[in-house]
Amino acid sequence: MTATIFEIKRFAVHDGNGIRTTVFFKGCPLRCVWCHNPEGLSPKPQLAYYEHKCIGCGECQKEIFSVENCFGEARVLYGKEITVDELLPLLLEDKDFYENSGGGVTLSGGECLIQADFCAELLKQLKANGIHTAVDTCGFVSKEALRKVIPYTDIFLYDIKAYDEDIHIKCTGVSNRQILDNIKYLDSIGAKIEIRIPYVPDYNDGQIEKIAHFLAPLQNITKIRVLPYHNYAESKYEALLVPKKLPERVPTDEEIQKATEKIKNITNFVVPS
Amino acid sequence: MQYIKQKDYEYITNKYHDTSKPFDGHTRFIRRDELFAPETGMCPDDIISGIFENDEFYKNLAHPIRKARALEYVLKNTRISCDERDIFPAINMIDRPLSQTLIKHWKKELFSQIIPEVEEVRSRLERNGTVTIWPDYDHSVPVWDRLFTLGFVGILEESEKVRKKRILTEEEDAFFEGIKITYEAILMLIERLEDTATTDKMKKALHTLRKGAPQHFYEALLLSYLYFIVSEHIDNLQVRSLSGFDTSFYKFYQNDIKNGISEEEIKTDLAYYFLQFTAIGNYWNQPVYLGGENADGSTVTNELSYLFLDVYDELNIYNPKIQIKVCESTPKVFLLKALDMIRRGRNSIVFVSDSTIRKALEGVGVSSDKARTCNITGCYEYSPQGSYNTGMNYLNMLKPLEHTLHRGCDGVTGVFSGLESPDLSQYTTFEHLYAEYKRQLLRIIDLTVETANGYEGYLSEINPLSLLSATFPSCLEKAKDAIGGGCSNNDSILQFGFLGDITDSLMMIKKYVYEKKELTLDELVTALDKNFENNELLRRKLLVDREKWCNNKERPDAIAVDLVNFITENLCGRPNARDGAWNCGFHVARMSYTQGGLTAASANGRRLGEELSKNISASMGQNREGATAAILSATKIDATTFTCDASLDLGLLPSAVKGEDGLEAMYGLLMTFVKRGGHALHINVFDADTLRDAQAQPEKYQDLQIRVCGWNVLWNNINKEEQDGFIRQAEALV
Repeated sequence: MTATIFEIKRFAVHDGNGIRTTVFFKGCPLRCVWCHNPEGLSPKPQLAYYEHKCIGCGECQKEIFSVENCFGEARVLYGKEITVDELLPLLLEDKDFYENSGGGVTLSGGECLIQADFCAELLKQLKANGIHTAVDTCGFVSKEALRKVIPYTDIFLYDIKAYDEDIHIKCTGVSNRQILDNIKYLDSIGAKIEIRIPYVPDYNDGQIEKIAHFLAPLQNITKIRVLPYHNYAESKYEALLVPKKLPERVPTDEEIQKATEKIKNITNFVVPS
Repeated sequence: MQYIKQKDYEYITNKYHDTSKPFDGHTRFIRRDELFAPETGMCPDDIISGIFENDEFYKNLAHPIRKARALEYVLKNTRISCDERDIFPAINMIDRPLSQTLIKHWKKELFSQIIPEVEEVRSRLERNGTVTIWPDYDHSVPVWDRLFTLGFVGILEESEKVRKKRILTEEEDAFFEGIKITYEAILMLIERLEDTATTDKMKKALHTLRKGAPQHFYEALLLSYLYFIVSEHIDNLQVRSLSGFDTSFYKFYQNDIKNGISEEEIKTDLAYYFLQFTAIGNYWNQPVYLGGENADGSTVTNELSYLFLDVYDELNIYNPKIQIKVCESTPKVFLLKALDMIRRGRNSIVFVSDSTIRKALEGVGVSSDKARTCNITGCYEYSPQGSYNTGMNYLNMLKPLEHTLHRGCDGVTGVFSGLESPDLSQYTTFEHLYAEYKRQLLRIIDLTVETANGYEGYLSEINPLSLLSATFPSCLEKAKDAIGGGCSNNDSILQFGFLGDITDSLMMIKKYVYEKKELTLDELVTALDKNFENNELLRRKLLVDREKWCNNKERPDAIAVDLVNFITENLCGRPNARDGAWNCGFHVARMSYTQGGLTAASANGRRLGEELSKNISASMGQNREGATAAILSATKIDATTFTCDASLDLGLLPSAVKGEDGLEAMYGLLMTFVKRGGHALHINVFDADTLRDAQAQPEKYQDLQIRVCGWNVLWNNINKEEQDGFIRQAEALV
């Protein structure tokens, strides 16, 4: 069994507790206007070209779709087929760091659960090796996909982008009914969930209170994080030739502070500032 | 500013340098003659010439006595000053007057008349960037606890007691006479200061020190300061630690608290003390360490450890620099406090693993309790209390490769300086080439040991260390100078530089010449000789290849480990000239720049003259797999098989260490490094954008500090080339 992934990020410190290795899977059913991983949208491998890095050596002309012979590292291939057997040893390399920091492995993307069978097998192997596991999901997936990974997932990092369906459609291109439904489902079976709310001014900043009210009655939320939108991904859009529609305004510290305060007032959950 | 008044701050920071003028920390001139009233003593020029005139009376006597008389002369005549804006006196230090006079003369005599052939080799090795060697008077640490318990008076009395107990040879008696003159001179200096002191606090403390041992925290600080000034800046012997502070000063702290002295007053005294070293501003920074274990294995960390960091943090300084000994029992909250300071830019803090250094010392026969209480001396070095290890010998590991590839000739000058070696066509396999590299490396090790042994036996003749030796019980027992075999440990260290560059160079030769066969060895050497001119593609190929040291890749890591093992097996334990043995370390100090400037283009894509890798860290910009991979590679080296530096410099992005998660992640990195047997870890938190901005707008970054290689500097005080190096390093961070 293989999966298509686009990055293995070691020393990931903001994808769950402790020091983690995050695997980014290709393909996503959402089209968030603020997406900072455009290389994760398409399920297929994509060639990117970072023009400013090109040293003009001309080697790429010899083999047009290769990145191996790009010695300026201007060409990057986002997307690589990999098996569980190939991936597992790479993820176990930092085991000592996981143990000394309470970390582990996070599956992210894109939307990793598009490749749920692979994820389930990988997570199973990770658990067999005593590794803490996290699944970072947008939630726009079938219950069946969720069920495959639940037994081997220690925590879900679950994104909520909006409560109102029309706003959600405007921001992501899809309805959020299934997403909200899935959270309730995970909560009902006792899965641990860390909620992540990207905060994007002029898009979903009016949704914070509604999201908080929705989450307040749930039982298994470990934390709610407000993630400030940033626009660092611009160069990736250009390199991939993916049309850019990124919001211009990034939130101020005060806005984020206010949003976390609102959530704290409405829920009893931990909301790191 | 908390703890220190603004007008006092301005006075102290200008006490040794005029801060309105450009400051070059590399020069050792730390004097502001105009601050001292002429009636308090002689002018510096007269003192310098007076030293020789004074020496006329003693020139038939042994060197320890002559040097002590010269010290006495300086302490008696140099100008002094006490000011109400400071709680520490000022002494006109005249830039190491003994070094400028007697020591310089004796050193010249030794090298030009007694062992000119040794000096010839030493100077040749240094000129072509192969090995830099100099007589090491830079790594002393007195037995502070004896000084604090006995005071200057008690040290003198102890020495005299031992002296009277035995029948001594003339040489042995001169050893004790040197101590007597030295300590009496210090007491005389204290009396002069006492007469000049303008505050009761200082006068009373000086009086206590003149009569006996310190009782209060402030008195212990004052003793430490006076010892430092006299030793480092007058007697010509660097004091490479102000002690394990939370061990040595704790009883004074407790005593003061018991007697109703407030914690605020203690903090204030400490702030004024720190600021003396900031103001002196030696570029190598003044070390002081915290934490670790007591002899019985209990943790040292106490209230004073925290108080120390609080004051240091508040002052936002980088000199003194701090080492923290980390062991299993070091409280996490203490380490988090230090890590938090580091990520906020207070990064003059390095972590040293207690268990690694303990095992390494036990491996050379040091008892567990002595290994536990060993000093951290200098940047990352360590040695048991009461020992003197020399270590100013830096070997450039790239040079033997130049010799291997150029039939024994230097790759830059073309001058024959290695062993005759075969034509390139004879290296039919990588193993053959690698074996020849080791042969050439061994030749340079032999030459270095031979050269250093050639003069190290004379160290105590060039610069007898009466001030230091008196604090070492073993020296008194043996009636021998600390640098002349008087200690229980008298090791000499050879530092091996640029493990990253040599490993990567060998790996790239192996891969591209012998495995991929993309080019012949001859073609590669031609490209290197031409500094990759018209061959940028090859250089880029070598540069972007990720199979390099510090990325947790099996093959390069195996080469690095093999090199370290080769070195320890062939060097450690060889006898030196001071009743001790040779050992090795991997600290490079400023050699990355100086020797790097004299080193040919290398097979890892580095150009001629470019900066070389630091300590056991990756080649410039080559830690492509991030912090965890660097630690995994670095800890494959068994740092318990040698007794000196194996320090890893780790760069982290500010975004990776922000928030509670980031702090916990830093802690996770540190503890993994320690548990896997690493020796010393230093963390630089920076990003390329900030550094670029700091280069463009220096005025905005007046307090931005950066770790060079064992010490910190202000960003604005390093040259553009060095700044560019850090920017390149930051650009490669993932």
